[in-house]
Amino acid sequence: MHVKGHFFPIASSNYQVCVATISDTHIEVINDEHVIARHAISSLKLSSGMAGLADELNFEDGSRFIPQDVSYRWPFKENNHHIMERLEKSKWAILAAVIFTPLFMWLVLYKAVPAIAVYSVDTLPRNVVEQMGEQSFTLIKKIALDPSELPAEQQAKVQAHFTSMLNALSLDKSVYRLSFYKSDSFGANAFALPHGRIVVTDDLANLLADRPNALKAVLLHEMGHVVHQHSVRITAQSAASTIVLAVVFGDLEGVAEVALGTGASFAQQGFSRDMEREADSFALTQLESLGYSSNDFADAIEALQESHTSENEHLEKVNDLLEYLSSHPSAQERIDNARK
Amino acid sequence: MESIHPTPSETTPPINEPAEPIFSGKVQFSGKGGEFFGIWIVNILLSVITLGIYSAWAKVRTHRYFYGHTRIDGHSFDYLATPIQILKGRILAVVVFFIYTFSISFLPILGLFIALGFIFLMPWIINQGLRFNLRMTRHRNVRFAFKGSYGEAFVNFILLPIASIFTLYLLMPYVIKRIDSYIHSNISYGDKPLTVNLKGETYYLTALICFVVSSITMVVFMGILGVFGLNLLDVENQQGLENSPAMVMLPILMMIAYVLMIAIVSAVWHAAIRNHIFDNSHFEGVATFKSELKPVPFAVLLLTNMLAIVFSLGLAYPWTKVRTSKMLADVTNVTIYPGALNLIDTAQEQQSSFAEEAANVFDIDLSLT
Repeated sequence: MHVKGHFFPIASSNYQVCVATISDTHIEVINDEHVIARHAISSLKLSSGMAGLADELNFEDGSRFIPQDVSYRWPFKENNHHIMERLEKSKWAILAAVIFTPLFMWLVLYKAVPAIAVYSVDTLPRNVVEQMGEQSFTLIKKIALDPSELPAEQQAKVQAHFTSMLNALSLDKSVYRLSFYKSDSFGANAFALPHGRIVVTDDLANLLADRPNALKAVLLHEMGHVVHQHSVRITAQSAASTIVLAVVFGDLEGVAEVALGTGASFAQQGFSRDMEREADSFALTQLESLGYSSNDFADAIEALQESHTSENEHLEKVNDLLEYLSSHPSAQERIDNARK
Repeated sequence: MESIHPTPSETTPPINEPAEPIFSGKVQFSGKGGEFFGIWIVNILLSVITLGIYSAWAKVRTHRYFYGHTRIDGHSFDYLATPIQILKGRILAVVVFFIYTFSISFLPILGLFIALGFIFLMPWIINQGLRFNLRMTRHRNVRFAFKGSYGEAFVNFILLPIASIFTLYLLMPYVIKRIDSYIHSNISYGDKPLTVNLKGETYYLTALICFVVSSITMVVFMGILGVFGLNLLDVENQQGLENSPAMVMLPILMMIAYVLMIAIVSAVWHAAIRNHIFDNSHFEGVATFKSELKPVPFAVLLLTNMLAIVFSLGLAYPWTKVRTSKMLADVTNVTIYPGALNLIDTAQEQQSSFAEEAANVFDIDLSLT
């Protein structure tokens, strides 16, 4: 069999127009009736063909033969050498890919990645988590927290509630620690750090001063975040999904990259809302088991919502529209969930 | 398909190089949207099923497709990287990315030092990425190479950009010119270095044009909003509008305007700078280049690409990539001289794919137009 093409000698840019002849065991490259190269077929490095591209041969010594006919495929290549090309051209494979890619993407991002995150977070040693929390705490204190101005007896009362809840739930007192800070940037708020430090702002303590059970509900919600290691998990999840998207979609440019970035942040806000729900349900369950009512939780959310709304009534309406962009489920959903 | 034109005056080789060109013509791109769609979607499915491992093979196949379908004088480019090289690089990059993310989020004090360390590592990562990519690129059996030094990369990619912040970014066009010069003048084809002569004026002029164009776009957008009775500069006093549909639509309209502006400005910038770089670079005695990318058709292409991607939920991506390559090839002229026949491939077989992968994950991948 004769195949017309170009022959490039080793490491040279100067090609010759040649004809390749194949026998059972060898391939010969002939130029003007002179054999200029002869190689055993068994010594060839074969790779899968590519749609619309010539099936070139790379010889052991670095010389190459490129057939002129881009659709020509060497007969000595086993069928499985072209399996990729066949799949990429197959209507059924393409159709299956269009249908199953979104499905598998969803499975990986919403099922596999969170599951792996839960597993890997459990394997983190306690002193690493402690370090992580302490360092973040130092930074937040510097940036946004001032010493509390609450009267000592008010602090002591909440601390006593906190300790009695820890005892009742048999949670480790050296892990779960409550502190009070004054903060202008957080307003009435509470948050938990990965190592078990829970911070309540003066504004929140004052807001719920005459509703101690509502404040307990908030503390339980924050404990829920620590119990489920949410802050470490969300970091692991968002890092993992960033990697999955980067690796699978490769180097996208322009709008495709923007679209993917938007998708990724939607996914991340989704993770965050799921975690808030998980912390909510921890709080609701424990409220019941400690003999309080889940209405206390609803009271807390209502009070928080009121205090935030009075600050900027206008934004609240926009927020309803942008629920999908939010890191928390809507206040109404959380209240309804507690009251049902 | 390739006719021999007389050498255009702009691309006349240096006087001491009297050789007649052996080829002059457009770059050919023969990829097809439908063909690439199959490659793209099948490879993505396989990548997802294998939890990302196959993505290394997918990357090689995609690159092979685009390189192989780009031809000058009938000879295609070849992409030589093997999937295993890419895979090793990816695994390393992923590990580094995790360390980076976790230290930044949870060990902010240690993270600060790690971030500082990255600043010093970045020039090396950029260099290794360029070196790997060029060494993996072959044309007419001869490979490209890159030989930038750490010191120069540090000055161009780290020091100068930081310095430009203190000049209110007035230095930025000059910095970009320095970066483009650094990247291109360190490329060689076989043993032939690319001679590059870029001018700061062109960068400043282009930046000025981009500024004017974006201002005009903004004014036109405001005018359109005004027609709908919205005055952006006076939102406070229009309480009655708070709940009107126009107000609700505002963020969406703003986003559309923003995307539009980005497309137009990047088309203007990219067209002018690409043409400038191509027109002022040559491999002495081997090849000269001419690029005639026009900003308006390019902006239209970028905008229609965006629309197609958004309305097809991403499925039009392969089509947009192919038609962009086609347009870029179509506006690029290459003249080849007899020196191209006597090149020797000097590339060595040491390459770091990790650096290139790290550059990708950290999103500072520097594309060579």
